[in-house]
Amino acid sequence: MEKRIGTIKRKENIKGFWLTSPYLLFTVIFFGYPFVWLVILAFSKWNFISSPQNIGIGNFTKLFSDPMFWTVFENTIRFMLEFIPMVLVSSIALAIAFSKARYMRSFFAMSFLIANVSSGVAYSILFEQIFASNGPVNNFLYDSFGIFIPWFSDPNWAMFSIAIMVTWKFMGYYALIFLSGLQSIPNELYEAAKLDGANRWTLFWKITLPLLNPSFVMVVVLAITLAFGIFTEPFIITGGGPLNSTQTFMMIIYTDAFEKYQAGYSATIAIVAAGLSFLMIFIVRKLMEKNVSFS
Amino acid sequence: MTAKRHYFKIISTSIFYAFMTGISLIWLYPYIWLFFSSFKPWDEIFTTFIPSRLTLKSYEYIFSTANQLGFPFLLGLFNSIFMSVTVTFLVVLTSAIVGYSITKIRFKGANSLFNFTIYQMLLPGFMFTVPLYIVVRSLGLLDSYAAIIVPNMMGAWGVFMFSQSFKSIPDDYIEAAKMDGANSFWIVFNVMLPLSGSTASIVGIFTFIGIWDNFMWPLIVIQSHRFMPLSVLLAVFNQSYGVFTGPILAGSVIQTIPMVLIFIIFRKYFLQGISMSLK
Repeated sequence: MEKRIGTIKRKENIKGFWLTSPYLLFTVIFFGYPFVWLVILAFSKWNFISSPQNIGIGNFTKLFSDPMFWTVFENTIRFMLEFIPMVLVSSIALAIAFSKARYMRSFFAMSFLIANVSSGVAYSILFEQIFASNGPVNNFLYDSFGIFIPWFSDPNWAMFSIAIMVTWKFMGYYALIFLSGLQSIPNELYEAAKLDGANRWTLFWKITLPLLNPSFVMVVVLAITLAFGIFTEPFIITGGGPLNSTQTFMMIIYTDAFEKYQAGYSATIAIVAAGLSFLMIFIVRKLMEKNVSFS
Repeated sequence: MTAKRHYFKIISTSIFYAFMTGISLIWLYPYIWLFFSSFKPWDEIFTTFIPSRLTLKSYEYIFSTANQLGFPFLLGLFNSIFMSVTVTFLVVLTSAIVGYSITKIRFKGANSLFNFTIYQMLLPGFMFTVPLYIVVRSLGLLDSYAAIIVPNMMGAWGVFMFSQSFKSIPDDYIEAAKMDGANSFWIVFNVMLPLSGSTASIVGIFTFIGIWDNFMWPLIVIQSHRFMPLSVLLAVFNQSYGVFTGPILAGSVIQTIPMVLIFIIFRKYFLQGISMSLK
């Protein structure tokens, strides 16, 4: 009997191995092998053609004295400081509005979510035209208020304009996350607080916002990840300009590798950027995450 | 007093709905403007909102004149569809088989394989752009459909999603099928997949959109216009023929339509996918 169980087990092991072997092979070739390359590249200088040259931590020292790296670092922080507050406030407000709306709910939800499925290339082209100097937004602003805004042509505006685009795209999605957070807050809490004479404002600050903490942390983490991954918008609209004000990590990873042929340096930037995003997410979680329980 | 309150309520409710409708329309405005503008005569694109007459000139330009300039958009559309459909099919297929092996065949290492997929998903994709390019180059796949299809044909996320969903399917179904002499593939396709239709749809939809909307990777690995997906072809065209706003907007409409259609048709699964990713 024991012997039979043994053979069944062995048979299952062989079957499992066979069925997963294509996937294992794939993972070795397209994940394991690149991973090894990533480590090698971080310590080498290479132009994709000659043999890689070991330069120790040369890439890392170069990185920290590279003004472009610090410009990109500043741009990314600036983007987050503009984008995260903007998208947090608007998506929480939208989530509350969703929860209050009794009619036309699906129309509202569709209008905000359809922005989220816009194609990266198409929406970049679209906003490039809408925010063009003779585009409809500037025409409207000029005709009604006499204002002209150099959305993508002024270094002080360009990154903010991208933040607006990204807010347009992601507000509905984040609002949905907040909505599911709102729905998990028990109604009794509000009833009890109202009996104690709390007004709406106190309800929001003392109950809604603290109990939305898990959704809040999640959206901030998603937004940080997003900020480190921006590529299509600056590549298509500004090419990183004006005056490098829209250069992002992805932009310099791309240009360093495939326009300047510095494979090792580009891989190093990618590692440092990933490290920075992990560090920021870690700090955010440490500072903001609170254990929320509804009992 | 109560009457006054009642009126107040009606007024505040109508303000609320008017405000929400206004904001929704502002959110839809870019799409509406794009759609109208692609049918406008070229001199009206920046001057009027509603076209004075509809014309297909922009579409004709993008499909026929641009083709003569070396930008085959019809082929680009085909490339996008072909690559997205192929990858979607392969990802659903392989993920289902691997997910079944992990959850239902208790082989040695099944658990570590599952945990490994989670670790894989934690690492941001951009870390691997350059090394993956080197791998694809040394396999001789650059500048072909395979450069996009092969590195994307399996993935940790799909395996993770199917494993999660298959876990909840009771073993009795599988035992019954095995009694009838079914092999693993038969069980995956005739028992497991039909029972987890929404997971299959979620994995399929998000994979399709991911490949359709992919920009940086095809930009790196594909040089010839004839192998480019629509997204890259459109971006390259925009760089050299940016003055032709009408045709570029028509191209953007074509690039956007499949994604919007999939969203409208499968919105149920979109919402499920979003709420699943929250856990």
